[in-house]
Amino acid sequence: MATFASSSTYSGVYVVFMVNRLQILFTILILPMYLVHSYMIWGIIAIGILSQLNLLILSKWFSSDFAAKGYNGFVELFGERTVRLFVIAGLFPILLNIVVNTLGYVQMVHTFIFPSMDNKWLILSIFLVGCYVAAKGMANTIRFVMIAFLSGAWIILLFLPLFFPPEASLYDLYPLVPTDWSIGPWKSWLALWSSFSGPEYLICLTTWLSPQQKIRKYLTLANAITVFEYVYLFVASLLFFGPHYLNAINFPVVHMGRYLQSPVIERIDTILLSIHMFNYVFAIAILLLCFYGAVRIILGRLHKQTTRTGYVSACLVILICMFIVDKWFWNATARENFWVTLQMWLGAFTYSLIPVFLLLAIKRKGAV
Amino acid sequence: MFWKKGKRGNNDRKDKPQNATQTAVTLDGLRQFLANMEDAEIIQRQTKTGQKITLVYIRTLIDQERLNESVMEPLTHCSHDTIHECIATSRLTNITTVAEAKKQLVQGSILLNDLSQNKWWAVHLENPLSRGIESSATETIIYGARDSFSEQIEKNITLIRRRLPITALKTEKFTIGSLSQTTVVLMYIEGLTNPDHISNARSKLSAIDFDQFLDSSEVAFFMEDHIHSIFPQFQETDRPDACAYSLGLGKLIFLVDNTPYALIAPITFFNLFQSPEDYFLRWIVASFFRCIRYLSFVLAVTLIPLYVALTTHHYQMIPLEIISVLLESRSKLPFTPFWEAFLMLMTLEVIKEASLRMPTKSGQTLGVIGGIVIGQATVAAGFASKVLIVLVGISAIASFLVPNYEVTKSSTLIQFFFLVLSAILGVFGIALGGIAVLAHLNGLTSLKQPYFAPVTPFYRKDWIDLFIRGPLLWMKTRPEYVSPLQKWRSNRRR
Repeated sequence: MATFASSSTYSGVYVVFMVNRLQILFTILILPMYLVHSYMIWGIIAIGILSQLNLLILSKWFSSDFAAKGYNGFVELFGERTVRLFVIAGLFPILLNIVVNTLGYVQMVHTFIFPSMDNKWLILSIFLVGCYVAAKGMANTIRFVMIAFLSGAWIILLFLPLFFPPEASLYDLYPLVPTDWSIGPWKSWLALWSSFSGPEYLICLTTWLSPQQKIRKYLTLANAITVFEYVYLFVASLLFFGPHYLNAINFPVVHMGRYLQSPVIERIDTILLSIHMFNYVFAIAILLLCFYGAVRIILGRLHKQTTRTGYVSACLVILICMFIVDKWFWNATARENFWVTLQMWLGAFTYSLIPVFLLLAIKRKGAV
Repeated sequence: MFWKKGKRGNNDRKDKPQNATQTAVTLDGLRQFLANMEDAEIIQRQTKTGQKITLVYIRTLIDQERLNESVMEPLTHCSHDTIHECIATSRLTNITTVAEAKKQLVQGSILLNDLSQNKWWAVHLENPLSRGIESSATETIIYGARDSFSEQIEKNITLIRRRLPITALKTEKFTIGSLSQTTVVLMYIEGLTNPDHISNARSKLSAIDFDQFLDSSEVAFFMEDHIHSIFPQFQETDRPDACAYSLGLGKLIFLVDNTPYALIAPITFFNLFQSPEDYFLRWIVASFFRCIRYLSFVLAVTLIPLYVALTTHHYQMIPLEIISVLLESRSKLPFTPFWEAFLMLMTLEVIKEASLRMPTKSGQTLGVIGGIVIGQATVAAGFASKVLIVLVGISAIASFLVPNYEVTKSSTLIQFFFLVLSAILGVFGIALGGIAVLAHLNGLTSLKQPYFAPVTPFYRKDWIDLFIRGPLLWMKTRPEYVSPLQKWRSNRRR
């Protein structure tokens, strides 16, 4: 089987799970610390609606004939040379996404599970498993999202007891309406918008997704699930920590997990955090394949057989980048990490720009 | 993925000299290739009319009683001129070449030379050496049919045909193995089984190029899509009811001569956790026990690794009440948790393997000795903690709950894999291992059909017979992963 063989196409349920899992990667664990105030519940819903509009624009692309043609559709739209330029520009967000998500997750594992372990081993182990998943090919990696979703989606249910007293302090949920109507810290809105990013990467997978007339429905469902998860976890962390303490801690969702009680074992956050890795491995694998595919397009080898050397080289490049960022640039002690902020900006940028850009392009061609 | 697939079979290499096999059969020719075969017989008899007839056969392969009754007696009392008039048997075949003669002889026929017509005839008189129909030794159930397959392929076909008395049930015969000349029968229901699966199976069987096959599992190894996987991609069963059920779902059955185990394909990983009894019990009861089986599999592969992870890396996860017991139990041990668990699991595997290979009575003794060694002596000697002994016991029993023996064996390997990972990376390592195993399962196929269906790919309707066994009344459609030609199981909706 070839890496990018597309012998079968995947139905809407995969779109739902992929969009949802790509949206909730790293941000689900850090988002509450950016939102802090209870009235930001409305912020999540508002941005969720905005994201929905963005997904509607994206669905226009998926319903077009260009999307069904995959790479050739892009070439028809922009021409081969321009597509290559776009692909070169796209390499950086993909690379950054992999690096930030992996290092962010490793930082959490390092903080909560293995404080004395060298990060390098954690990075290597997660990345190798991601490479293994990706080595099974794009079709199998897309299918892996089912496993990722089923393995991780139930975790939020464990936070249900935190909604009730004595753990929950209902007063922390107020004021639901802001006392002053200033726009608030811009970073909260940036983080929020960025936390809905991820679905734009689906444009790299159009070959594998069946021609979707109902894609709007699936994208809407995925977005709604994400909004629900964000609201749910934000309210849980508000009720549990209160806005003042929430403002002061890193990784509030993981911290909440530390207080979950189990009759058999304690500190089940260790298990939950480990299981949450399924999402990261899925994201690493799919982005890794996008990266490898992009490199093949740039080198003009798209129509040639994939090779082990090429795949391993792509993996090595990403791994080296990750080690370099971790060694010299990743500041794990700072509460607001430069790379996370950069990822937020870039995520927000790509999520805003790509759907609109594609819509304008197909409008220009008169296909819509 | 990146490996270039080599050619499995070698159909191009039909390099046998054609002339030798096409030579006309003669008595001298037969004598030549029967030389040095003590059990080969060449005898002559005379009919009532005085005609001499030569009989050639291999004594050990034929039924002597039937030879006397069906051939010798009629021949000696026959007043006709030709053999086929003398012997009133339907299984009289005219043979012309040496190759045919050889094939007939080794399959238990006798050759008769009709000098008047200068023709050779073969009468099939194979000695039906076989045990009777017994109950299944590997897939025991309380309710349901007791019969199981034996080593005789024809008898096995009969057992399936009696359960599916329809003409749409087709049987195709293949001969594989240059030395063993093993007969493989491919069974399917025409108009129900997807023709792609049938042609795929045919091409895989035709491509087999090997010398001998002594068991059906060997045939499976040659047809599997992923030969390096630890998971079986063909389900082996000796139960005709399981085969009939699978045929009814649109699957294929491969019966191999001289082995009591049939192969079922395409299968999923989850099929290996299903017992025929699941469909005979009340659905809630059956679902409960099916869930227990899945849980047991998870327990079998993760319990000991979890112990190692917790005692090596995550002491904080152990409740205070248990940690004092554990610390007391482990305080005088000379080994780290990993080596303690590794040695105990290795001992257990040695005992399990030995008790399987030993004669039944010795096996029981070994079990008792093993129990004492594991349960008492190791704790007394200070080699293992009491907690680990309990966990090893639970883990060992849990591993036997999976109905498929091959999965039980595979689970042992996964357990050791997780054990190593847990020693290095604790719970995080087990999760890493879990992802790797699930990704591996996700990539497997059985006869080109997804092995991890209906989870991936996601077939919503098939979930009714996945973790739970839904009421039969609700199971109206055949599994999607089999892609049957007839989706509905009831006659009203086809």
